[in-house]
Amino acid sequence: MTPQAATTQRALQRETTRRQLVAAGLRVVAKEGFAGASTAAIARATGKAHGTVFLHFRTRDALVAELVAEVGRAMSNRLAELEREAPTLANVLDAHLRALADHEVLYARVLCEATTLPAAARAQVFALQSGIASRLRRAYARARARGEVRDIGSVVLANIWISLTNHYLMNRDLFAPGASVISKCGSALKAQLLELIRP
Amino acid sequence: MTTELCRSCGSCGFPMRTPDDHAGGDPDAEYCSTCAEASGTLKPYDEVVQANADYLVREQGVDLHAARTMARALLASMPAWQGRR
Repeated sequence: MTPQAATTQRALQRETTRRQLVAAGLRVVAKEGFAGASTAAIARATGKAHGTVFLHFRTRDALVAELVAEVGRAMSNRLAELEREAPTLANVLDAHLRALADHEVLYARVLCEATTLPAAARAQVFALQSGIASRLRRAYARARARGEVRDIGSVVLANIWISLTNHYLMNRDLFAPGASVISKCGSALKAQLLELIRP
Repeated sequence: MTTELCRSCGSCGFPMRTPDDHAGGDPDAEYCSTCAEASGTLKPYDEVVQANADYLVREQGVDLHAARTMARALLASMPAWQGRR
């Protein structure tokens, strides 16, 4: 093996290990929550030495921020499937509900523990929410121009929708015990919001 | 669940899906059009913090001071600003 090939192989191995740590971290979080996701637990879940975690993430906070970012990226990619010239409000809400449904367990964990997460991780949550809000704002402006909705302001609209879905996700054990709360209640939540803004 | 469907801005993490999302419309640019000049050069830190804070204020009505704090925390976790506070 040439020195160059060895370097490439080491880089690939490093990336593979990092991905394994993130995947294991998400499994631990889904089961135990962030509070239970110690670096030792995550290392155990990958079968690697505890110290390996710190070769890839300087601190536990950095690892937690990466786990939340990973959930955000996955949801954001799902939302991006919406991309078309001018999605309607219903299109945006449907896309958001699909993204939430796909990552319901993990995202509910993120929301329930948001205030105790490292600052960078909490900021990731708000960055993701801003992505939803931004899409809603644009669709709402188009609907307003067509006279299809009443004026409540785009920030209010976004915050009503975000707080509504977050409330159901954070209490999913009460609204849909043993099932997906988004599958069970998502369509009704969307209909309620659209009804709320009807002229 | 590891995702690779699109590149994220190395400064703020914004998912860059179209060439226009990248600085200067260059799909090879590692930063987004908000964080970098058209040349691809990263804007000054304070300017990037403000742009990210403004985004949180505009879209969700977050308090400006809290939004700046949150933006700084977010940037500190990104490759371009690693560890910066």
